[in-house]
Amino acid sequence: MKQILRITIGLIVSCLIAGTIMGGAYVFTAKAKKYNEQLKEEETMLGLLGYGKANPAPPALKLYSVYRYVVDEKGSKYLGYLLPVKKGGAIDYAVLLLTLDGKFYAYHEVKLGLEQATDPTEREKALEGALKGSASFVYADETIVACMDGKRLAYLLPGRFQGFKTFIRVMLALNPGFDILGLDILEQEEDPGLGGDIVQPFFKNQFKDKTFDKIKDLDVVKEPLPEEYRKVLEAKSGSMPEKEIQSVEEKYKEKDIYALTGATISSRAVTTGVKDMVKRFAYRIGVLDHVVASRDIPVGF
Amino acid sequence: MARTKKTNPQLFFNGLLAENPIFRLALSMCPAVGISTSVMNGIMLGVAVLFVQVCSSCTISAIKSFIHPRIRIPTYTLTIATWVTVIDLVLAAYLPAAYKEMGIFVKLIVAFAIITMRLEMFAAKNPLVPSFWDGLGMGFGFLFGMVTLGAIREILGSGTFLGFSVVGEKPLLFFILPAAGFFTVGFMMAIFNYTDLLFKKLREKKG
Repeated sequence: MKQILRITIGLIVSCLIAGTIMGGAYVFTAKAKKYNEQLKEEETMLGLLGYGKANPAPPALKLYSVYRYVVDEKGSKYLGYLLPVKKGGAIDYAVLLLTLDGKFYAYHEVKLGLEQATDPTEREKALEGALKGSASFVYADETIVACMDGKRLAYLLPGRFQGFKTFIRVMLALNPGFDILGLDILEQEEDPGLGGDIVQPFFKNQFKDKTFDKIKDLDVVKEPLPEEYRKVLEAKSGSMPEKEIQSVEEKYKEKDIYALTGATISSRAVTTGVKDMVKRFAYRIGVLDHVVASRDIPVGF
Repeated sequence: MARTKKTNPQLFFNGLLAENPIFRLALSMCPAVGISTSVMNGIMLGVAVLFVQVCSSCTISAIKSFIHPRIRIPTYTLTIATWVTVIDLVLAAYLPAAYKEMGIFVKLIVAFAIITMRLEMFAAKNPLVPSFWDGLGMGFGFLFGMVTLGAIREILGSGTFLGFSVVGEKPLLFFILPAAGFFTVGFMMAIFNYTDLLFKKLREKKG
């Protein structure tokens, strides 16, 4: 009996000590970690738009986030959009509810600034207030609209789909006509050396400049990647003459995606994932724009 | 419960060659087979293990008299998990560039046999300083093993070394598949055992 007590107490004490150390480390690092993650995401977004250290983004460039929720009110489902709208001189958020077939349902203004909206709990509080507690809601996704001088420059879509092993998290940039501006892989756990190569420029850059029409029937081909195309895909800005890059890009623009050797499943997963993301988004933003225009909602983007 | 009589440098080289974790002790074979597809992967995982091994060895050696023998294994796991979490968080917060490359490897470490085994076999019975050297040796031994495996498999499988093309094509794609990991580890073990035999014969002749 005494033995059991000693063992139990010993285990409890060691767990408490370990827990305290881990918790302490978390408290100390949480802020810096979150900051780094945000910085990385912002860098990825600007990178996809073609801005970087050598070419900083102009101050006129504004990024507005649109959040989509699935709202359940008394058994019927609605799409709830948190939209940035102009109010006075500033930007504030509003909730727009649409029925599933894309008809207008309700519109509420909420008190939620641009800064506050980045925090999920603040958003949920604002939504709860707007829906008056009579409905439940689930977060679906976020779309970032990049604007310059009141015109839409690009859409940035964070997304997630099934890869060969686990989920692949990506960030996709589309121009207003839904052509792909760029693709970046944020998180993946494919096999290193095989499917893991989806992060390599010679794979992910193949998606760049694919037009919306091409994306609709984009497929994967099991052919070796042509050497001239690989060179262009891997080229950093300035290392190759612009004209040469353009002529090669033009040549392969209408081609399908060349699969990675030994990792057809991963290649196919990314291609299908991107294809679905673009198609769904094009439909959704079309519906949203239609409602916004017909109701004269003063959206910020 | 024998204390070690080896000197510190001997302890270090013991881990590196005579008791190399992968090729002689045959421990932590999962990562050795699964991750060693390129030199870079080998370096990343090796460095991560080196840090956790040294930190855990020192911790266990320092607190060994407080640990009830019946619960030593859970305590080892807790110690390793704590260090892995702390290193993971600190890297994420203060060295984001390194975390981007190493984060995925650090999280893998908790279940590694080699670390638990060294805590049980060595750190729990020896003072702090030898435990530090043993941890260092084992860590470097693992790093050395992973880099060797990574180099063989990367050159044969992808035709590259550290990402730079050396062969110009993929000579034997089979080598980056998991199955080839077993072959490579097997061959390396054979080489180690054979050298060991040769040395023993030499020593006998001299003696």
